[in-house]
Amino acid sequence: MTDLPLVGFVALSSALFAVGLFGILTRRNFILILIALEIAMNAAILNFVYFGAFSGGPGGLSGQAIAVVLIGFAATEVAVGLAIVLALNRLKGTINVAQATDLKL
Amino acid sequence: MSIEELAFLALAVVALVTAVAALLVRELVHTILWVAVFFVDISAIYFLLQAPFLGVLQLGVYAGAVTILLLFGIMVTRKRIFAREAATGISEVPLALAVVTFIFVIAVVGELPQTSTPVRSYDPTLLSENLFGTNGPWLLLLGLIMMGAVAGSIYLVREGRE
Repeated sequence: MTDLPLVGFVALSSALFAVGLFGILTRRNFILILIALEIAMNAAILNFVYFGAFSGGPGGLSGQAIAVVLIGFAATEVAVGLAIVLALNRLKGTINVAQATDLKL
Repeated sequence: MSIEELAFLALAVVALVTAVAALLVRELVHTILWVAVFFVDISAIYFLLQAPFLGVLQLGVYAGAVTILLLFGIMVTRKRIFAREAATGISEVPLALAVVTFIFVIAVVGELPQTSTPVRSYDPTLLSENLFGTNGPWLLLLGLIMMGAVAGSIYLVREGRE
């Protein structure tokens, strides 16, 4: 058993989420956007584990179980994202998202 | 200050520094290296929270699979692997939005109970019972979505698609 403050954990994950959000909004390279998305997603998954651990009882296990499922979702999302990167690279010759404008009217 | 709190502080600082460094360095390969350290650091936080199963999963899925997948993505999309990215700079509006998000969450955190609660360790068998029993539908949903994602990825990257 360890004693840890809840507030520090939530502050950490919110800071990480802010970093990820900043990266998603500013980067132009598709792979960098995926990485920023993963950082934000990790911050969100951490929240489930903290709050589960701090609520105690069966809630702690539910938090961990949902985190397992979410890690799987995040890995799936990277796989699909990289498929899109490859398709974009084949179509445009670049993975700069500013040039992916085919659906614009 | 207990040893766990010190460990948490150190891990939190490393997580923040590596996350920021990953997004600010100009070489994409260096980004991958920083983000790999970030994933290992998050896995250490899981071990600190007495969730060893998640820690191992994080090491395997993120530090292992996702990092290598991203490296392959870089390898096949650029001619010179270590080429530098064009500087995108730090634009004001996204920075402000990120800071506002952070401040908003911190304001909400202020309302949380300020006590530190004991973190309990669990038997992995209990976790697996929970995962396949109570949360079984989520796991099935994950399987379905992964299957759809595999089919979609293959459709996106197959040869000869017009």
